[in-house]
Amino acid sequence: MSGLLTDTLITGLPLVPVYLGVYLVLRIREDFDLTVEGSFALGGGVCAVLIAHGHGPWLALLAAVVSGVAAGVVTACLNLTLDIPVVLAGLVTSLALFSVTLRITGQPTVSLVGADTVATSLFGEAGRGDAQQIAVLAVVVALVLVAFAAFLMTELGLALRASGVNAEMVRAQGVSERGLVVLSLALSNGLTGLGAALAVQTMGYADVNMGVGTFVAGVGAVLLGVLVFRPTGSQVARIVLAVLVGTLLYRFLLVGALRIGVPAGDLKGITALTLVIAVAAQRFARIGLTALTRPTSSTSASVQTPEGTPT
Amino acid sequence: MTDYDPTETPALELQHVRIVHRAGRPDEVVALRGIDLAVPAGQLVTVVGSNGAGKSSMIQVVSGAVRPASGRVRIGGRDVTRRPDWRRAGDVARVFDDPRKGTAPELSVEDNLALALRRGGRRRLWPAVTPRRRVLMREQLARLGLGLEDRLHEEVGSLSAGQRQSITMIMAALGAPRVLLLDEHLAALDPATARRVLDLTAELARDLGSATVMVTHNMEHALELGDRLLVMGGGRVVADLPRALTRAMAPADVVEVLVSSGESVSDRSLLAATEAGES
Ligand SMILES: Nc1ncnc2c1ncn2[C@@H]1O[C@H](COP(=O)(O)OP(=O)(O)OP(=O)(O)O)[C@@H](O)[C@H]1O
Ligand SMILES: [Mg+2]
Repeated sequence: MSGLLTDTLITGLPLVPVYLGVYLVLRIREDFDLTVEGSFALGGGVCAVLIAHGHGPWLALLAAVVSGVAAGVVTACLNLTLDIPVVLAGLVTSLALFSVTLRITGQPTVSLVGADTVATSLFGEAGRGDAQQIAVLAVVVALVLVAFAAFLMTELGLALRASGVNAEMVRAQGVSERGLVVLSLALSNGLTGLGAALAVQTMGYADVNMGVGTFVAGVGAVLLGVLVFRPTGSQVARIVLAVLVGTLLYRFLLVGALRIGVPAGDLKGITALTLVIAVAAQRFARIGLTALTRPTSSTSASVQTPEGTPT
Repeated sequence: MTDYDPTETPALELQHVRIVHRAGRPDEVVALRGIDLAVPAGQLVTVVGSNGAGKSSMIQVVSGAVRPASGRVRIGGRDVTRRPDWRRAGDVARVFDDPRKGTAPELSVEDNLALALRRGGRRRLWPAVTPRRRVLMREQLARLGLGLEDRLHEEVGSLSAGQRQSITMIMAALGAPRVLLLDEHLAALDPATARRVLDLTAELARDLGSATVMVTHNMEHALELGDRLLVMGGGRVVADLPRALTRAMAPADVVEVLVSSGESVSDRSLLAATEAGES
């Protein structure tokens, strides 16, 4: 049982920032961003290459965040300049990011066995122990959650929270929809880059395919969390708690499945099943999840005034 | 009523504004056929006209939701014709006809008000709701007499249409706009609630000193509140009546003006409005 918990925390905590980003776009912006699949692999690759070249693990973490932000900005630009819906723009970006990541890493897999991590930078060789890794991850994740909650409570964060539900009203209050698209995608993919870097450092390797399935897994985790906490748009503390608990619950299910002997190849199936069950439970519990039940054509592209011009 | 100095820059000015929807297509509609209008600060203009007369189009061209095919829109003397709606929001507040449109239902009362407090200003990385702002919000909500000042944390979505529309009115007033736009903002409310929100409208318009444009199908409301009454038809202003003239008018007289201007007598909403006005 303690092994189950340890595995859940070690594999789950790095994903909390990633799924926080998924929550931001899915629930707060009510949109779908598939860029995360690409920016997860990109962040992981950037982090691994930097560490492999002898740079510090903290610097690698920062670089992964920056690369994720850049990926998000690309998707936002595709959406804003060419009017491609965010769903499609994200798909295109993540496809391109596969090649970009491969260029950066030079090989499909980068091993970091024995390399420095954020944990060893603090604890020395003892930092390879489970307890030390979990402690460092927990502190980083806690900081991210607190910072994110604080951000949501700012004027800018409030505009973001209102924009998914009532874009017209937010424009009437003087907020540029375009600015919010850039902000939300940059932030969400920056968080994804951070999570990827943490994951790479705990796993000890990066793989160009490590992002595949991130989005669906994120949606599943987010829905689980929402099911437990049912946060409204103004309950910021509940929002971050929902993501934390949802992520860990979801990882707990996967790790548990592995432990009872489910072959690793079936895990993607379990992820999909988790998502379906979570959606079904939402339905049953009558929690509105507009982003999933609404036709995708009504994403942010159609929300702008036809007369709106880039300024 | 108040006298307005004609040499003063009007708070709101429309010059030869034309709006064409679906331009160039076989089903194109000319919604406004060259409107000229100057509204000084502090004046409340009521607008009546049958369905499709172009009232909402006029509101939208001022808010920036629609861009004119030709003509200019000036606010406080500044040409804003090419500015998108969100860049006019500091000067223009609007209340929609649908109570659900003016507020974010998932957010609390205080979050909605906080959003309006920064209308037109830069959104900063600063707490949106501070204790000082809460005091201001409570004060403003208390004017409504609905007890909403004690429900700051409740979701707006759980409030009634009248309560939501009242909050939207307070939100509109918070940013001290130069121009206040009200498009049938009482349409979804029951008579008693409509009365309350109407009184609030008169009070806010007076306090704000903004140029207020209020579209309504209720002739009584139009006569009672307006410093000036515009009658629209077919994309034009067919009559522009100052208070001095409207003071002596009854709802039926306004309908008479509409009818004599070539408007269809069989317009159902107008007939309904007349009946309501005479009852
Ligand atoms: N988005 C649009 N696309 C095409 N035509 C439109 C659009 N908006 C308005 N119109 C047309 O422009 C004309 C004026 O419409 P508008 O909404 O301004 O009328 P209104 O006076 O507000 O009427 P009502 O009393 O019904 O609200 C109508 O003929 C309408 O069909
Ligand atoms: Mg209308």
